[in-house]
Amino acid sequence: MKQSISALMDGELFEDEAENLLGEVKDDATVRKNWAVYHLIGDALRQPDHIHCDLSAKVRERLREEPVVLVSRGRVAKRKIRTWAISAAASLAAVSAVAWMSLQISPEGAPKMAMQQNAARPVNMQTRPSSNDYLIAHQEFSPSAEMDGSASYIRTVSYGGDEAPVKNIPNEK
Amino acid sequence: MTDREVDQQLVERVQRGDKHAFDLLVSKYQRKLGRLISRFVRDTAEAEDVTQDAFIKAYRALPGFRGESAFYTWLYRIGINTAKNYLLASKRRAPTSTSFDAEESESFEEASLLREVNTPENELMSKQVVGVVQASLQQLPEDLRSALTLREIEGLSYEEIASVMNCPIGTVRSRIFRAREAIAENLRPLLETSKGKRW
Repeated sequence: MKQSISALMDGELFEDEAENLLGEVKDDATVRKNWAVYHLIGDALRQPDHIHCDLSAKVRERLREEPVVLVSRGRVAKRKIRTWAISAAASLAAVSAVAWMSLQISPEGAPKMAMQQNAARPVNMQTRPSSNDYLIAHQEFSPSAEMDGSASYIRTVSYGGDEAPVKNIPNEK
Repeated sequence: MTDREVDQQLVERVQRGDKHAFDLLVSKYQRKLGRLISRFVRDTAEAEDVTQDAFIKAYRALPGFRGESAFYTWLYRIGINTAKNYLLASKRRAPTSTSFDAEESESFEEASLLREVNTPENELMSKQVVGVVQASLQQLPEDLRSALTLREIEGLSYEEIASVMNCPIGTVRSRIFRAREAIAENLRPLLETSKGKRW
């Protein structure tokens, strides 16, 4: 409990932890004393030339005569909703900005990814046994027999600066 | 949670009728507010009364506090207005009539002036409290002393202290607590035996 009080005064508890802790210590005078002593220590370290007596007892005494402060729950809730809405709007704006920037940098990035995924899917073709015989018989005419895909149809072209361009060289095949 | 959020949570508790939460705010800010009011009201006893009045006014005004500024900034404005009104009512002139705000008051370090307004009794007690705190700090193991100093004097967060001391945040939290508790152990007898238990 004391350690949680120490963390609370440093602002190092999560909101729900703090809320639970403050609820638990509501009527606990010992916890209030610890809170006060820890703050006195901090003040004595930071401003040793101005440590005066504790006013909290006197203020507490005077507060007894004061009516209890009550703000309607609706107003507090409205304020929280407004805070949440502002945070959500800011987050949405940030995400939109990042998405827009990434689209500006690489406008075709997303479709390419989608195409690659489609291409990577395994193909499950159903073939008849007769067509297998046909394919085996004509395998030597297949363009992919020696080189993959369309590579066998590629013609090499180069360009050498001031020299005349090299004419297309027919594929040796 | 930040420090400001802790204050906001305490304020909301007060707004829901929890007077004890206001006690915690008084314990936290009484010396800062007292130091501020001492700039206007030189007499120690009067300054204490004005500080109390400022807290009471703040309590009454809390239903209208919407959290648009930090609580302590709002409180200090009330403190300044209360001190000025006090001086006007007693037909005296505020030593600094305008031209400073809550942020400036944070950096106010005119120790000589403050010593001047302290009574001998208060001054002795102040010296004893500060003496015990500083002596206790020096007696702490180096890791506890460093953690507390980085937090209280340098104002670093636990995450920053963990980075500086190269240890987990949980260890920082434990070290700071142990340091505070060790000092508090030495301080409590002094506070309990002081005249009228006013500390």
